[in-house]
Amino acid sequence: MDYLEFLFAGFAVFWAGLFVYLLWLQARLRTVQRELQRLEERLAESEREEAKEDEAP
Amino acid sequence: MSARTQPADAASRGTAARLVLAALRPVVAVYGARWTLLPPLTGAAMLAMLVGAVIVAPREAIEGEVQRIFYIHVPSAIAAYLCFSVVFAASVALLWTRNLRFDAVARAAAGVGVLFTALTLATGAIWGKPIWGVWWAWDARLTTTLVLLLIYSGYLLARSLSDRGDVQAARYAAVFAIIGFIDIPIINLSVHWWRTLHPDPIVTRLPGDMALPTSMLVVLMLGMAAIMLLALWLMALRSEVEQIGVRGDDLRGEIDRREAQRSGAG
Amino acid sequence: MNATTAVLLKDLRLLWRQRSGWLSAATFAAISVLTYSFALDLATGEVKPLLPGVLWVTFLFAGIIASGRSFAAEAEQGTLDALLVAPAPRSAIYGAKLISNLIALLLIEVAVLVMATILFNTALLSAELIAIMVLGTLGYVSLTTLLSTLGSRVRSREVLIPVLALPLLTPLLIAAVRATGGALDLPTGGEAWLPLLAVFTAWSALGSVLLFPFVAEQ
Repeated sequence: MDYLEFLFAGFAVFWAGLFVYLLWLQARLRTVQRELQRLEERLAESEREEAKEDEAP
Repeated sequence: MSARTQPADAASRGTAARLVLAALRPVVAVYGARWTLLPPLTGAAMLAMLVGAVIVAPREAIEGEVQRIFYIHVPSAIAAYLCFSVVFAASVALLWTRNLRFDAVARAAAGVGVLFTALTLATGAIWGKPIWGVWWAWDARLTTTLVLLLIYSGYLLARSLSDRGDVQAARYAAVFAIIGFIDIPIINLSVHWWRTLHPDPIVTRLPGDMALPTSMLVVLMLGMAAIMLLALWLMALRSEVEQIGVRGDDLRGEIDRREAQRSGAG
Repeated sequence: MNATTAVLLKDLRLLWRQRSGWLSAATFAAISVLTYSFALDLATGEVKPLLPGVLWVTFLFAGIIASGRSFAAEAEQGTLDALLVAPAPRSAIYGAKLISNLIALLLIEVAVLVMATILFNTALLSAELIAIMVLGTLGYVSLTTLLSTLGSRVRSREVLIPVLALPLLTPLLIAAVRATGGALDLPTGGEAWLPLLAVFTAWSALGSVLLFPFVAEQ
């Protein structure tokens, strides 16, 4: 009458769903942060080059 | 979070704004500390909920041990409604202020809400199989939850098919989210009327109808608190992801613009 | 002539000029009823209880196919931008679209009712049924007209509009099917389906008129 396997399955699905989502979110956060850093470096670099070109002539 | 940028027409409005800001100061302080506060608090509360649901709460007399699913099922459903209210509020704020930051918040909350709706349906089906004998029945509450899942999945689909920085698409999605949220009571009523045609004697024995003993109620409240914290943390995390993504798009546009300018000049 | 009537006349002219598009929706509705009649006849001898469902599913799909096109031409030819800077109020632009969509769909639905009368051997052209049909159609057309303003920049909008519209239309589908069943002397459970249908229609019309200015902003 207790259906322990169903209880276990319910909790397993719940926790697994949460952990998968959390891990996926963390992975995406890391990806976008790295991407943002890369873009910021590129922007700074292009600003430096622009300044150099302005000085040259 | 962000004050409206329209010029204040009277001094009284300035005073009112200052009062509101003062009242919001503790909220802002908590919001600023969200990355140090939320993860440990959520983790501790979730652990306490697990212990409470599995060990502390007494065995239910009629349904047996499987009734313990109730302590994660009901808070998940309420967390989903919390998320959808956030989607609604953020959508209204987006239309009001035209600040795309609210679009990121709405998208984040819709994603987390869909997760909790799916978890509610999954845990409900797993509880329903031994107790009702079927995984799924077209009961009023089940149908409403499924329709909610469809509405907000549609919202996420609509938003993911257009660019993150597309203001028009964001406004469109916000209007859809507002219509969808206001639709919920009507959906609820119609589905309820429709299903009372075939009353299922077992369905009426839903956990909501019984008077809970105190120990069960305490565990349920603990679960509510834990899952609300979890929902807030997940929403904060996801909107951080969305906002960094928007900033990345802006930077990419800026770099493209500069390069086009330089190649045009050179 | 003021701007509101001008916009309405423009939409009615557009309705006539795009008649091939509407005819394809009508053809779809006809084929759909024909296929239902054929397939259900294979499965069961008693088709009358299934009729309200068949009718409303056909109406909804035909309506969504048709409404999906209503702003498509405007968006492609860029007339929507011109329309939005015109002195007509936003609600007039929305209302004119709504009325022209409503006219086209009611014509399609009457044709479907005539066809279903013949195929399903049931008298369907009663005043009560027509009233339910008009009320329900106004309810779903006001929502699908709002949703079809989806910008042309969004990919696969043809798929997206039904995915967005149908879940929102759950109450309408339930109330309309039950009310139609009542008009055909089928058991309905005795709830106030017609008032519910009216409430949904009023809600969707009001909500759409109020929210349209927000989606149709440049």
